[in-house]
Amino acid sequence: MRTGSLKAMDYESDDQQPAAPSDERGQYWVICLEKVASTQDVKAFRELFEHFSPMIKSFAYKIPGLEQAEPFAEELLQETMLKVWTKAASFDARLASPSTWIFTIARNMRIDLLRKQARHVINNVQLYQDGDDDEIALDDIWFEDENSDVFNQLAMQRSRKQIHESLKLLPIEQTEVLSKVYLEDKSHAEVAAELKLPLGTVKSRVRLALNKLKLVVDR
Amino acid sequence: MQKHTPMVKYHPDARFLTDYAAGCLPASQALCVATHLHYCPLCRLKIGELTELGAELFMQQQPVKVEKAALEKLLARIQASPQSPISPVQAEPSVSILPKAVNKLTSGNLERLNWRRIGSNFRVSRLNVGDKQRETSLFCIKAGGHVPHHQHKGDEITVILKGSFSDHEDKYEVGDFIVRTNGETHKPVASQDQDCLCLSTLDAPIVLSNWLLRFGLYLFNLGTPSHQTAA
Repeated sequence: MRTGSLKAMDYESDDQQPAAPSDERGQYWVICLEKVASTQDVKAFRELFEHFSPMIKSFAYKIPGLEQAEPFAEELLQETMLKVWTKAASFDARLASPSTWIFTIARNMRIDLLRKQARHVINNVQLYQDGDDDEIALDDIWFEDENSDVFNQLAMQRSRKQIHESLKLLPIEQTEVLSKVYLEDKSHAEVAAELKLPLGTVKSRVRLALNKLKLVVDR
Repeated sequence: MQKHTPMVKYHPDARFLTDYAAGCLPASQALCVATHLHYCPLCRLKIGELTELGAELFMQQQPVKVEKAALEKLLARIQASPQSPISPVQAEPSVSILPKAVNKLTSGNLERLNWRRIGSNFRVSRLNVGDKQRETSLFCIKAGGHVPHHQHKGDEITVILKGSFSDHEDKYEVGDFIVRTNGETHKPVASQDQDCLCLSTLDAPIVLSNWLLRFGLYLFNLGTPSHQTAA
């Protein structure tokens, strides 16, 4: 049984796996994904599932005010990991780390499920409009594979390390805003409304955080 | 992918980029960001970083226990459907100069869209991006023509897809991401050499300064589905 927090980057050793520095740890999941892609390796998939699924479920529960959170979390988990299985061959370690790739799939899937749920509600009250079927697919707006350019790879690795090390040094009010935006699915405007802050304050907290993380955004 | 346009000068700010990377930007605005990314390698790099940040926050969450049955259920599903992992789709060399999302929305053929003229130099076609709070459209200004003089009630984002236009502040080129906020009045003029095609999304209906054009927009609105909200 694992104890403590289950973080990808500073994952401690457990019975099956030797302790490894974070880079090698990430490399381990790359190998798992490649095994799933090339030989449909169920054992490798099982390991990926055990490592990432508690995060996917946690990510589902972050949506505030969700009715039927448990079935929603279950569906998000199932659909995200199914996609990991079917799309493993399109994973490209030069473009993204495994956790970034899986986060992206979970993020898109969550938007998709929330959108379907909203439409379902609209349907029930007879506000559904004809012609909504041909609206654009989510993957055309939020790409899963094409965001990065190969030549950015080194820069990405650097920033990933930087982010990992600096994130815990951020003041609480900056981490709070980042968590709401990334995990609770709240835009800057929604965070401002919730915290009863001017939009400018939320924007500057995010900016200060990005600045401390030394990201090129806003440079 | 389109050869990179070195001219991109106006970019989404950190707020738009962060909300986009987090997935919480409204779909119509996200479409504008995605369109800008097509033209802007610098912002693609930024989005890459911001997605890394998201992944880091994602992995630092408090894990939630997953029942053993969940994996078995998924494995059963995988076995039941013959669909094994699919090979990556070979990226087709893009023949179009327009971003993928815009191509999808227009089925690759701009002329087949339902265009409405407002004035002699301006036509507009509404797009359906599943965002009921905003109006998203493509608009085209004839070379040398201008957009009807208008004032914004809500925020407007414009991304240039072809050609260029100028207003009292600057000249804008392909890929530029231009934000106009509530209350600003402006009058963009397309450059003389070619028509200017733009993608735009608007928080609230614009107010035309000229009554005749306002009547034109009234007719335009009659022909499109009224906006209904779920609330």
